[in-house]
Amino acid sequence: MESQNKTALLDAARALVTAIETDDETQVQQQLTVLTQAQESDLFHEVGKLTRDLHESLNSFNVDPRLVDLTTNDIPDTRERLNFVIQTTEDAAHNTLELIDKTLPLSDSLKLTAQNIEQSWHRFRMREMDVDEFRALSTEIESYLPTVKQQADQIHENLSAMTLAQGFQDITGQVIRQVITLVEEVEGNLVELVKIAGKHQTESTEDGKQVDPIKAEGPQINKDKPNVVNNQDEVDDLLSSLGF
Amino acid sequence: MNKDMKILIVDDFSTMRRIIKNLLRDLGFNNTTEADDGLTALPILKAGGIDFLVTDWNMPGMQGIDLLKTVRADEELSKLPVLMVTAETKREQIIAAAQAGVNGYIVKPFTAATLKDKIDKIFERIDAS
Repeated sequence: MESQNKTALLDAARALVTAIETDDETQVQQQLTVLTQAQESDLFHEVGKLTRDLHESLNSFNVDPRLVDLTTNDIPDTRERLNFVIQTTEDAAHNTLELIDKTLPLSDSLKLTAQNIEQSWHRFRMREMDVDEFRALSTEIESYLPTVKQQADQIHENLSAMTLAQGFQDITGQVIRQVITLVEEVEGNLVELVKIAGKHQTESTEDGKQVDPIKAEGPQINKDKPNVVNNQDEVDDLLSSLGF
Repeated sequence: MNKDMKILIVDDFSTMRRIIKNLLRDLGFNNTTEADDGLTALPILKAGGIDFLVTDWNMPGMQGIDLLKTVRADEELSKLPVLMVTAETKREQIIAAAQAGVNGYIVKPFTAATLKDKIDKIFERIDAS
C-alpha cells in the first residue's frame, strides 16, 4: 500500500475510533464513508487494469495478420480444395469403371470363342468331325488367333490406363495434407482464443448437448470405438441377435 | 426371384450408384433406375413399378433412414423390400434400421458376394411368406 494512502487510512481510522468513543454520530458516518471509498477505489483500479489487459489481448489477437488471412483466404480455399478432392476421386472412379466396362466384354468374347473352339477340337480329336466341319473349324481358329492378340493388347492397354487412373491418390493425398496443416493452425489459434476468453469459458459444455444416437456420421475412422461394428459379419450377428 | 424386377438405386455418389448398378447387372438384374437422395427417390417410388429399393443412409436432402420410414408408412409402398447399403456402422443405427423395417443391411465397403447373399436372403424370405 502507498504510504500516502496508508496515512490517510490511519487518520480516518483514528478519527472513527474517537468519534465512536465520543458518540459523535456525524463523524462516525463521515469517517466510515472515507474508509469505504478508499476500498472501492482499489477495486475499481483492479477492474480497470483487468479490462485494459483483456482489451489489449483481444486487440493483439485481432490484428494478427495470419488470423485474418486464415479466415478470409485459407478457409474458402480449403473448401475449394476439398471439393477438388471429391471431384478428382469421382472422375478417377468413373474413369476406372469406364475401362472395366470396356474390358469385361473383351474377356467374355475371348472366353466364349475359346469354349466353342475347344468343343469343336474335342469332336475332331474324337474323329466325330467331317471334312466340311473341319474346314469351318480351321477358318474359325485362323480368325480367332489374331483376335486373341488384338483383344489381349486392348485388355493390356485398358489395364495400364486403370493403373494411371490410380494417380488420383497422390494428387488428393497432397491436397488433404495441406488441409491437415491448415486445420492444425486453426486449432492452435482457437486454443489461444480460448485462453484469452478466460478459464471459466473452458469448462465443458458437453453436458447440455443432446446427441441423436442414429445421426448419420459417414465412415467410422476409429474402428475401436465402442458401439461400432467393424465388418459385415458383425452386422449380421447383431441383426440375427435381434431375431432378424 | 424375378430377374426382370425393377430396382431403384439411391445414393448421392454417382460412382457408388454405378458400382451397385454394375454388380446388379453381373447378378442378372438389368432393370435398374437411379436417384441421388430420398427426395428424388420418393416421386419415382410413388409413380409405381419399383420392385426393390437399394438405398444409402447418409445423403443430403432426405436420408435413407427417413426414406425407409416414409416407404413403410405409405400404404402403397409399405411392403416394398428395402436393402440398405451404407457406411453407417453404429449399433444404434443398425438397430434403428431393423426397427424401421429394413430387409437387409450391408456395410460399405462390400463385396459382390455379400450383395448377392443379402438379395438372395431377402427374396427367399419374401417367397417363403
